[in-house]
Amino acid sequence: MSLPRRLGWIPGGILIALLIWFTFSVWGADRPIGASTAISYMGGWLFGLQESEYFQKIKGSGAWEVLFLIGVLIGGSFTSLFITKTFKFRVLPPLWRKHKNESVASRLIWSFIGGFLVVFGARLAGGCTSGHFLSGASQTAVSGLIFGGVVIVVLIVTGRLFYKNL
Amino acid sequence: MDFDIVRFISTTLELVEKQNHGSIGVILLIGIIFGVVIQWSRVDTFDKIAGFAMLHGFKVPKMLFLAIGIASVGLYFMIKMGWAHYHVKPIMVGGLVIGGTLFAIGMAILGLCPGTGPVAVSEGNIDVAVGLVGGIVAGALFTYLYPELKGIMGPDLGKVTLTGLLGESADWFIFLYGAALIAVAFLLPNREIEEEVGEV
Repeated sequence: MSLPRRLGWIPGGILIALLIWFTFSVWGADRPIGASTAISYMGGWLFGLQESEYFQKIKGSGAWEVLFLIGVLIGGSFTSLFITKTFKFRVLPPLWRKHKNESVASRLIWSFIGGFLVVFGARLAGGCTSGHFLSGASQTAVSGLIFGGVVIVVLIVTGRLFYKNL
Repeated sequence: MDFDIVRFISTTLELVEKQNHGSIGVILLIGIIFGVVIQWSRVDTFDKIAGFAMLHGFKVPKMLFLAIGIASVGLYFMIKMGWAHYHVKPIMVGGLVIGGTLFAIGMAILGLCPGTGPVAVSEGNIDVAVGLVGGIVAGALFTYLYPELKGIMGPDLGKVTLTGLLGESADWFIFLYGAALIAVAFLLPNREIEEEVGEV
């Protein structure tokens, strides 16, 4: 099989657009793509918060997104093993090494903090890149456009301040 | 902490079956395609996402803007034909600004977001798995604090879309909107950081 080892941004973007159409359509799931609700849903389960107001509010989407993310894990590991052949256990991203430091402990602590902020922020905002950007902006939703604007600006400012030797 | 995996799975499947949002097979398929496309285009790496935060590479925004530009036009007409429906999130001003800020700081540091993160975990990135643990703790803490946090998330300005505001003229506006997003995708620099994509 001679599949390309990489998808460029054009085929990648077109395929994601097709997936958005299928997911929204009545023949697909008749709902948007989303990922971050699943993380709080799992947190709610692990910490026994199933009776709380928020868990009750999101349990439907949370459960849907858990299944979606299981599919993502299957698709991602299959592709990394057989198509891109990039599967490998690793801790320090090359760019982190170059622009932050060479410490595994530092990377793991910052990863925890980063993951914490990502999910806490996504829950405050009511969505993440998938829910607000891919799904929201595709519907011309003003909430998604505000989220996208704030995120792009803060992302670049953080990049300037947090990393060095840019 | 008492976590019963069997009850978790059975309740989750039950919750999914109760809603009319696709069969379990269809949902898994949507996830698999998402995982394949994201992994195959390698936008699930720290180098691509934090690399954009450092303005070193632009594959992630190029792909995002192209996807949204194409999807928006088709989706508009699909909804008109009754083949799809709007699922619009409300404008919660405080939540969007504070949440978007925290989200973006975290995304620049972790180098991933909730959709791409699991793809990065699936190809063996242990640091991202630790980030996922941080995310689960945050999800639980948010769930616990939600009654207190509701106050800062407002005011709720409603579920507003640009096409909804424009009424009739949205039929031509949507082409402008889609074309503008696609133009942004093409105008962003072609610079990429392919050789640093963490294959070592």
